[in-house]
Amino acid sequence: MSSPRAYFEKLEIDVLAAMGKPSIGYLIALAVSATCFVVGMGLWGYQMLFGMGVAGIRHPVGWGVYITDFVFWVGIAHSGTLISAVLFLFRAKFRSRFNRSAEAMTIFAVMTAGLFPLIHLGRSWFAYWLFPYPNQRELWVNFRSPLVWDVFAVSTYLTVSAVFFFVGLVPDLAVVRGRAEGIRKKIYAAFSLGWIGSAKQWIHYNQLYIFLAALATPLVISVHSVVSWDFAMSIVPGWHTTIFAPYFVAGAIFSGTAMVLTLMIPMRKILKLEDHINIGHFESLAKILLFTSLIVGYAYAVEFALAFYSGHTFEIAHFTYRLLGDYWALYALMVFSNVLLPLALFVKKLRRNIPFLFVLSIFVNIGMWLERFVIIVTSLSKEYDPYSWGTYVPSMVEVGITIGSFGLFFTLFLIFTKVLPVLAITEVKETAL
Amino acid sequence: MSDTNRRWEFEDEHEFLEKLKELVDQGTPTERLDVITPIPVPATEEILKMKRSPLRFFTLAGALTGLSLGFAFTIFTVMDWPIITGGKPLVSLPPFLIIAFALTILLGSLASFAGFLILGKMPSISKIQNPIEHENMFIIMLEDEAAQ
Repeated sequence: MSSPRAYFEKLEIDVLAAMGKPSIGYLIALAVSATCFVVGMGLWGYQMLFGMGVAGIRHPVGWGVYITDFVFWVGIAHSGTLISAVLFLFRAKFRSRFNRSAEAMTIFAVMTAGLFPLIHLGRSWFAYWLFPYPNQRELWVNFRSPLVWDVFAVSTYLTVSAVFFFVGLVPDLAVVRGRAEGIRKKIYAAFSLGWIGSAKQWIHYNQLYIFLAALATPLVISVHSVVSWDFAMSIVPGWHTTIFAPYFVAGAIFSGTAMVLTLMIPMRKILKLEDHINIGHFESLAKILLFTSLIVGYAYAVEFALAFYSGHTFEIAHFTYRLLGDYWALYALMVFSNVLLPLALFVKKLRRNIPFLFVLSIFVNIGMWLERFVIIVTSLSKEYDPYSWGTYVPSMVEVGITIGSFGLFFTLFLIFTKVLPVLAITEVKETAL
Repeated sequence: MSDTNRRWEFEDEHEFLEKLKELVDQGTPTERLDVITPIPVPATEEILKMKRSPLRFFTLAGALTGLSLGFAFTIFTVMDWPIITGGKPLVSLPPFLIIAFALTILLGSLASFAGFLILGKMPSISKIQNPIEHENMFIIMLEDEAAQ
């Protein structure tokens, strides 16, 4: 191996080259994403103007695509924290190749998710009613409500993830500062806070990083547990079960890991980072995907087993409906994408096959979105009273806003790849030695 | 020791550590030595006999504040306007624990970050304006006694 310094220099040049002048392909991708986002926002405006009637949600299905999207995006966020915090505590070396992008993904996904409760509210300008302050009659919010827990869990998650992301960036911003010119140098210098890498800085930095990882680790479990309790705390058949929290957490990590693959596979190619992210690194992610897929598959089976073992008429009726009722095709596609297809990852050749991983990750993204849709919609469309049964089909406004949310997420991610180093340069140096 | 304001640069981490050890063994006071490295080198902390970072006290203080604030706030609000919902006791600790937990993590993290900025003396205006670049070298700097 050549000297470490030669490798360090090459790494910096390669990663910083990715931040250089954007290619035509990049600009097209950015334009498409931004257009989707703007159209989505336009549709939100249309919904505000004409009321919630333009969305497909109505009695009895009052939670539809918007809540599905919220749970989906919060879920996507989770693998970022898993990769950055949990794998840091476990000293998994491959994490240094993915943690920067995964952390950025976490922040963007939580930001996207945060829009959906507002969109779903209808009268979005009253969102502040969820914040803990006494109203005009001096009555405070109800802290026994899962929706208020959600406000605390998700906003804490966003703040802690942002701090973690920034702290990880500080030594790398100093690297960019060293190689930038003019006004860019000044901006990166300001954001690197005067980092020089002295022993006096490192000693506090290392301690901070461990503490942030340790504090963020329980968040991986708690945030999606709280999201699952939005459902599990009610007495709706199909929602009211104790396995919901671990079931949702495993699903969240599963979908998030798939999204990391979806983003990183093209990014590595387009930004020419093949020398630094190799197939072995992707294989490690594939193993996380396989492991969480097995947990998710087990949870699907346990849900049915519990319903039938309980002998509870409504639970049995609900799960029979979920499997064979109006939405059977979506359920079948979900099981295929989340449980059956990932089993292929037991084959080492497929785990190391990048095109296969990319296609699989798309299926898992779709499958996990469908999982949330199926859980939410099938439970509401046939609740207890047959008089109030009904089916739900999303309207074009809901579909458009969903596409808009993908537009927002990809726009933010694309901007990130040009503004910040996409690989955690300092940590890759550390693990390369 | 006649060296004043000297600077050594190494491409290799091991040579750098050997030189640092040699300087300390020769009796150079550790306060006059500073090192700049592109990656964290935990061995330097031992050689320079640096004390463990007191950052952990910031974390502890922040986390405990968050925990007590979480319980105090939720309990205060239900006592301030007592209204029974869902037939549950006014002070329902299990749901309040969720709020307290979130605030523990939130304030623990923010206090740790604040501690890092305070202890590491950042952001530093002078270093932002005139940063020292390591350029991927492991650097030892011996400060002039007069500069102390």
